[in-house]
Amino acid sequence: MIREFGLGNRGVVRAREHFDWTLFLVSSMLAVVGVINLYSATSAARAALSDIYIQQIYWLVLGGIFATVVSAIDYRHYERLGYILYGFGIVSLVLVFILGKDIRGSSRWINIGSFSFQPSEFTKIFLIIALAKYLHDDPKSEGRTLSDLIVPAIIAAVPTLLVLKQPDLGTALIHGLIFTTICLLTRIKWRSFLSLVVSTAVAFPLAWTYGMKDYQKKRITTFLNPEENLLGSGWHAHHARVAIGAGGVTGQGFMKGTQNQFHFLPDQHSDFPFAVYAEDWGFLGGFFLVCLYAFLVLWAIRVASSAKDRFGAVLAIGCGALIFWHAIFNLGMVTGLLPVVGVTLPLFSAGGSSVLTIMMAIGLLMNVSMRRNAPAGVLG
Amino acid sequence: MRNLPPERAKWMRLRMGILCGILAIGLGGFVSSAYRVQVEDGPAWRETALNQRNRRLHVEPKRGSVYDRNGASLAISVEVPSVTVDVVELLRGVEKPDLQAELIRDASVRLAAALKLDANEVQAKLTSKRRFIWLKRRIPGDEAAQIRVLGDPKAQAPGQKAIKGLSIDGEGKRYYPGRELLGPVLGFVAPDGEGKDGLELSMNEELRGHLEEMHGIRDRAGRMIFSEGATDEQALAGHDVHLAIDEGIQHVVERELDIAQRTYETKGAMLVVMDPMTGEVLSLASTPGYNPNDYGDSEVEARRDRVISDRFEPGSVMKVFTFSAALAAGSLKPTEQIYCEKGTYKLANVTIHDTHVSEWLAPTQILAKSSNIGTLKIALNLGEPGLYSAFRRFGFGEATGLPLPGEAQGVLRPKGRPWFEVETANASFGQGISVTTMQLAVAMSAIANGGKLMEPILVRKITDARGNVVREWPPHVRREAVPAHVAKMMSEMLTAVVEEGGTGVEAAMNGYRVAGKTATAQKADPATGKYSEDKYTASFVGFVPAEKPRLVVAVVLDEPMIGRYGGDLAGPLFRRVAESSLRYLGVPPSNAQPHIGQVSRTNDPADLALATLKPKKLADPPTENTMMGPPPPNTVRVPDASGLAARDAVRAVGSVGLVPEIEGTGKLVRQNPQPGSPVPKGSSVRLVFEPAS
Repeated sequence: MIREFGLGNRGVVRAREHFDWTLFLVSSMLAVVGVINLYSATSAARAALSDIYIQQIYWLVLGGIFATVVSAIDYRHYERLGYILYGFGIVSLVLVFILGKDIRGSSRWINIGSFSFQPSEFTKIFLIIALAKYLHDDPKSEGRTLSDLIVPAIIAAVPTLLVLKQPDLGTALIHGLIFTTICLLTRIKWRSFLSLVVSTAVAFPLAWTYGMKDYQKKRITTFLNPEENLLGSGWHAHHARVAIGAGGVTGQGFMKGTQNQFHFLPDQHSDFPFAVYAEDWGFLGGFFLVCLYAFLVLWAIRVASSAKDRFGAVLAIGCGALIFWHAIFNLGMVTGLLPVVGVTLPLFSAGGSSVLTIMMAIGLLMNVSMRRNAPAGVLG
Repeated sequence: MRNLPPERAKWMRLRMGILCGILAIGLGGFVSSAYRVQVEDGPAWRETALNQRNRRLHVEPKRGSVYDRNGASLAISVEVPSVTVDVVELLRGVEKPDLQAELIRDASVRLAAALKLDANEVQAKLTSKRRFIWLKRRIPGDEAAQIRVLGDPKAQAPGQKAIKGLSIDGEGKRYYPGRELLGPVLGFVAPDGEGKDGLELSMNEELRGHLEEMHGIRDRAGRMIFSEGATDEQALAGHDVHLAIDEGIQHVVERELDIAQRTYETKGAMLVVMDPMTGEVLSLASTPGYNPNDYGDSEVEARRDRVISDRFEPGSVMKVFTFSAALAAGSLKPTEQIYCEKGTYKLANVTIHDTHVSEWLAPTQILAKSSNIGTLKIALNLGEPGLYSAFRRFGFGEATGLPLPGEAQGVLRPKGRPWFEVETANASFGQGISVTTMQLAVAMSAIANGGKLMEPILVRKITDARGNVVREWPPHVRREAVPAHVAKMMSEMLTAVVEEGGTGVEAAMNGYRVAGKTATAQKADPATGKYSEDKYTASFVGFVPAEKPRLVVAVVLDEPMIGRYGGDLAGPLFRRVAESSLRYLGVPPSNAQPHIGQVSRTNDPADLALATLKPKKLADPPTENTMMGPPPPNTVRVPDASGLAARDAVRAVGSVGLVPEIEGTGKLVRQNPQPGSPVPKGSSVRLVFEPAS
C-alpha cells in the first residue's frame, strides 16, 4: 500500500535527495511578494476588501498542502488516472451550467456550502494530464501529421468550448494555448504545422463573426484603441496604464501608489494587481517580477528536458505553459499589449481557485523534478 | 532522455529552442511595453494621474462677502445642495449594453421622481457620454433627503438596488439681504460661480477665492482629500470686500430716488453721496435699479451703474469750475462787475440767452442767478487752454477709477482739437461736453475740501476670511485741482446759490449751511442733432455744511416729465438726502442763519405729491419726544422702532444720531439698547429683524 503511493523508503530518500529547492524558493518568493502586494492593493479599500490578503495567505497555505500531496504521489499514478481526472473536470464544467452562479453576466462558479470555486481553473491541470497521457501512450517517434493530432485536439477542444460557452474568453484562451504549446513540443511535420497555423488564421475571423459575444468583441476593439472608449470597456485598461505609467522607473514606494490609494484602479486585487505593483515599485520592480516568472518557466523547460519519460516531460511543459501564458496575458493586458481578457496573474491575483491551480501546477513540476532520471544540467 | 539517439536529441534541442523563443518573445514584448509605458511615457502618465486626482470638481471655495462700512452684509454666499452623478460609478459592474440601458432607464425614472424632473431629460443627461453630470442644482432639503435615500443600499425596498455614483455637494448661492439695495453696484453671480456685473465682476478674482490654493487631491468618486494643512476652508475661501458705502445712507438715498422717480416721472435718476475729505463714496444709486437675487427677471438697462456709465451735458454746474479756473488764473476778481447784456448775447452767429435778465452782476450773483452770458465772458477772458486744462484738473474727461465695470470717461473736446470760441463759451456753462454724475461729485468735493481732487473710494479694504487685511485704500489725493484759497472763495460764493434770489433755494435746510449749484440742461436730441425743447437734465451738486463740509451730494434727474429746473426738482432731493444723512451721521447743526426757501416750498407741486406718497409714520419719525423726560446732555433716547420695516427702522434710529446695526430681514422684533434708554450720540443700536410669519 505504501509502495503503491510512492512513499516507500526508497521514494522518500529519493524525494529528499532530489527536492527542488530552486523551484520551491522561486515559488515562495512570488507568493510572498504577491501577498505583500495584495496588502498594498487593498490597504486603501473599504472594509469588504481589507482582509483579502489574509484570505490569500489561507489559500496559499491550503495550496501548499495541495502541492505537497500532489508532488508526493508519484506522477505515474496520475498517468493511470489521467482520463478519469479529465472526465471529472469535464463533468464539473457541465455542472457549472446547472448550478452556476451568475457573476457579472457569466456563470463560472459553483457553490459548495459557503465556498465557491471555478472549475475552469482546475480543468487546465486535468487537460495537461490527459494530453500528457495521450502523447505518452502514443509512442510515435516519427513526425506527426495532422490526423495524428485529431484526438489530442478533441481532448483540448471539449473543455475549451465549454469554458468559452460560460463565457470566459481568457480561460478558454489559456486552454487552447496550453494545447498549442504541448503540440509544439511533440514532433509535428512541418507541413502539418503550417496548415495548423493557416487554419487558425481562418478560424479567427469566423469565431469573431459567429462565436464571440458583443462585450468580448468590444474588449478587443477597445484594446486596439483604448483611449476612445474611456467610459466603457476601455476604463480598466486605461486606469491600469495610468497607474503603471505613474510608477515610472523606480516607483512611488510601497503603499504610496496614489492611483491605487485613491481608488482609481478597478479590480486592483483580482485582475490588476500588477498595476498596483508597478505603481509602487516602478519599472525596475516590474522587471524583477518578470525575471521571477521567466525563471520559473525556464525551470519548467529544464525539468521537462530532464524528465525520465514523455509523460513527465509533457506534464512539466504543460505546467510551465500554464504559468507562462497566465503571466504573459495578465501582464500584457495590464500594460496594454493585449486585450483585457480577465486572466489572473499567478500567485499575485487574489482568489482561491487560481491560487490552488497554480500551486497544483507547481506541485506537479516538483513531482517531475524530484523523479527525474538524471542530475540537473541535461537540457536538450 | 539522455540516452536518446542523436537525431532525437537534436529535435529535442530544437523544440526547447522554440519554447525558449516563445518565452523570450512574450516576456520581451512585455518588458518593452512596460518600458515604453513606465520609462518613456512615465512622466506623461504621471501627469494624467495627477490631473485625475487634482481636478477641482464640485468643491468651490466659499465666495467672499461684501460688507458696508459698518459691517452690514450686502452680499453673502450660502450653501445650497446640488446633486451630481458619476456615470462610470453608476454603471460599475454592469457590462452588457442592454443591462446598462435598463439600469439607466430605471435610475432615470427614480431620480426624476425624487427631483421632480422629466425622466426622459434625466435619461438624456445620463447617456450624454460625459462622466460627471449635474442632475439638478440648488435643490431643497426634502429632495436632498430623497436623493440620500436613493443612494443608500440599506434604505432600499426589497428588489430595488441603490443608485450608485450619486453625490450631494454644497454649492454656493449668492444672496443679497438688502434686495434692491445697491443692486447695480453689487452686480450678481452666475450659477457657475463667476461674478457677472458690478463689484461681483470687477472684484471677482478677490471674492472667488484662490484657486491655486485649491489643489486638493480627489479620489475616483470625486471626493476631495486634502493634503495636510490645506483642509482649512478659510485658506480657500474668497476675500471679503468692505465698502465705503453706508447702508443707512444708501437706504435713505434709494428711497428718496424712488420717490423722486415716481413724482417727477424721470427716465432715470442718479445720486452720489461722498465724504469730500476722504473721497469715500457713502452712497451711490441710480434708478431704475434691480434685485440681484432675481437678476434673471431684470432688464439689462436696469443693471447699469448709471452714476458712472451715463454721461450727459452737465449744464450750469460747470460754471463752478469755470469760475474756479478764472479765479485761480487771476483773470477774474471776486469784486469786479460783469455786464450781462440784458439776457441776450450774440457770439459769432449764435445767440445765447439767460433765464434771468440782468445787466451788471458781480461773480457771486452770476453764479446765484446762473447767468450764461456772464460766465462765458469770464471763460473767454480766461482763454480756451486755461478752461480746458482746469476742467481736466477737476477730473473731467478721465475715469474716476471706481472699481466698477463700464465707467465712461466723458468727453471735453469732442473732436480732439481745441475748442472754437463758441465752443469755449458753451463749455463754460456745461454745453457741448459730457460728464458723469461721479465726476461731478468728485470735482465738487475738490471745492469742498480746499482744492484737492480725491480718488473716490468705493472699496475701503479687502480682508481674507480670517480678517487679515489683504489690501487697503486709504484716502489719496490725485492732484490739486485749485489752490485752497480759491476753493474757499468758491464755497462762499456757492452758498449764495441757495440764498434768497438764488436758483437753489429749495436746497437750503434748517441748521446747516448749504453750498451748491443747480443745473437745468437741455438734452441734445440724437435724431435732430439739436437741443430738445422738452427734454432736460435737472441737477444739483452741492455740499454741506458749507463751512466744514461733511457730505457732497450730486443729484442728477434725467428727463423729468413733471417740472424741469434743477433747483426745483434736484434741490429738494438734495435737501432731504443731506438732512437725513447729516442726522444719521450725527453732525451737529451749526447756528446758521434762518433759511429762506420755506415759503416757496409749500407751493411746490412736487412736494405736495411727495406728501401724499409718504407713509404716514415716516412723515414724523419717532424720536425722543415720545419718551418720558428729557435725555441727559449729549445723549439721545433710543427711539422705539418696533414693528417697522428695515428701512423705516434704520431711518428712525438714524434720525436721532444713532448708528443702526442690522441683523436679519423683515420686521423689527428686537432692539438693543431698549427703546427709551438714553445713550450717547453716535453709538450703535442693534436692530434684529425677522420675516413676518
